Amino acid sequence: MISRRGALIAGGTGAAVVAGGGVAAYKVATGDKPEPPSPPSVDAQGKLLWRNWSGVQHAYPAARLAPKDEGELATALKVAQAPIRPVGAGHSFTALAPTNGTLISLDSISGVVGWEGDEAIVRTGTRLGALGPMLAEKGRALPNLPDINKQSLGGALGTATHGTGAKIQAMHGSVTGLRLVTPSGKVIDADASKNPEVFQAARVSLGSLGVITQVRIATSANRRLRRRVWLEPFEDAVAKAEERWAQHRNFEFYAVPFTGLAANISHDETDDPALPRGPDQDTEFLQALRGLRNLLGFATPLRKAAAHALLSTAKPETAVDEGWKLLSTERPVRFNEMEFHLPVENQLKALQEVVRTIEKERPDVFFPIEVRRIAPDDAWLSPFQGGPRGSVAVHAYYRDDFTFLYELIEPIFRRYDGRPHWGKLHTLNGGQLEAIYPRWKDFLAVRQELDPEGRMLNPYLKGLFGLSY
Amino acid sequence: MRRALVLTAAALLLAACGAKPAPPPTPEQALALRPADARLSGLYETSCHACHAIPGTGAPLVHDRAAWDVRWKQGEATLLDHAIQGYNAMPATGQCATCTPADFQALIQFMAGREDSAK
Repeated sequence: MISRRGALIAGGTGAAVVAGGGVAAYKVATGDKPEPPSPPSVDAQGKLLWRNWSGVQHAYPAARLAPKDEGELATALKVAQAPIRPVGAGHSFTALAPTNGTLISLDSISGVVGWEGDEAIVRTGTRLGALGPMLAEKGRALPNLPDINKQSLGGALGTATHGTGAKIQAMHGSVTGLRLVTPSGKVIDADASKNPEVFQAARVSLGSLGVITQVRIATSANRRLRRRVWLEPFEDAVAKAEERWAQHRNFEFYAVPFTGLAANISHDETDDPALPRGPDQDTEFLQALRGLRNLLGFATPLRKAAAHALLSTAKPETAVDEGWKLLSTERPVRFNEMEFHLPVENQLKALQEVVRTIEKERPDVFFPIEVRRIAPDDAWLSPFQGGPRGSVAVHAYYRDDFTFLYELIEPIFRRYDGRPHWGKLHTLNGGQLEAIYPRWKDFLAVRQELDPEGRMLNPYLKGLFGLSY
Repeated sequence: MRRALVLTAAALLLAACGAKPAPPPTPEQALALRPADARLSGLYETSCHACHAIPGTGAPLVHDRAAWDVRWKQGEATLLDHAIQGYNAMPATGQCATCTPADFQALIQFMAGREDSAK
């Protein structure tokens, strides 16, 4: 998206300071923080560390299981040491996966195992990035994909992971049936007509009802999409956002704080020949933003002027390719994140307040803020239950302090009636969630029936559900 | 005849001493490479492969000796620690929740093109 000038700013800042005082001086002078402290790789009992993608969650599980099939999983679940937690790629920022009991990976229970018409039967250990080419072999694709495709299908569905598109549901919206293995080893097939209550509870269930081993999921034709990325003033992006959500198959934009700019991304179906996406430029863009923060973070007007001069003339990018190759992006720069899903009429007001607050209170922030739109569905714990939602996601570089997300950002989202992304940072629990999810009690009743002893619950989930065992 | 053999051996020796590292694999080769051991191959496919087999992700490409040599010099213990803890863009445990330290070591040796180190 930007030229080499971005990297020059990012690199040049460091080089100038390093020349005067070495790496330590650079870190102090630029605001770059050292690596966060690491927990021991092995605990006192010799148990190996597990950490999530961003590094903020960790545990030393007593047992790690990788069952080869459903039968082995069912047998293991009956005797496994609680808390039993299924884990995928560890992309959740909340403490859904950590356990000192049993960590279960479904990496060996993966792949497309059948088709019912255009609906694929997919094992939930399948990573999203691997699923694209599997479905493409049949000329099919998932209707949408999230921004990152490293997650397991089970993890993505369980946390209501989503992409963007006013007419496209979150991933679990395409699930038409599922198979659940309960903590007692019972296998339950569920869909809209068979065990419908289990189906509605399990589609988004945070891995708390047992282990979902496979889903039947609707697919769409594997069409080529035209991807466009372009920058414009933030106010213009806000003014045109609704029109663009209505116009494009997929549309999102990133508000870039301390620049006065926004980056728009649209995808639309096309029959044009493929024009590959080319090398990743988002990382260079981020480096430029970090460089601007480091160099001019002390003076917001200067920082904005420099950012405008550096970035605003960037040329738009275009690519044409199959959707599964374009809709997700490599994210080699780690971060922590809070995302809330807001009623659409509140989304842009909340966004503007978030940007104003960050620019007033937190000059250390440089990550763009992601703004998406998601169609409604009826899963009981879906944040998109009951109507379309607009999401706003605020990120913090993994080395930087992220407490501002709780102190400054979450109150804004809550004031605008937001629901938190289940896998991203938030503090809501119990009664607060019951107040914003009409089927909360119904979900807890199904959970109680399937796991009366709470063997699938770690301390975080007990708190989230407001349960005491 | 003997002289010819000596010259040939000397030429081979010189070639070996001054050998340039093998070129990095093509994107197609990188996608197709797998550890010989079936279990390890399964672990690799669901974790490391997502980044280390695809050019442009920022991760050193599997069997790209030039990219791995600088890392290998840090020592296997350091690379193992980075794999378990995460390091820069590398997520902790390479997103392999059930890999043991021995698995990580074998996977690193495979990706670095140092399978012989395992012997």
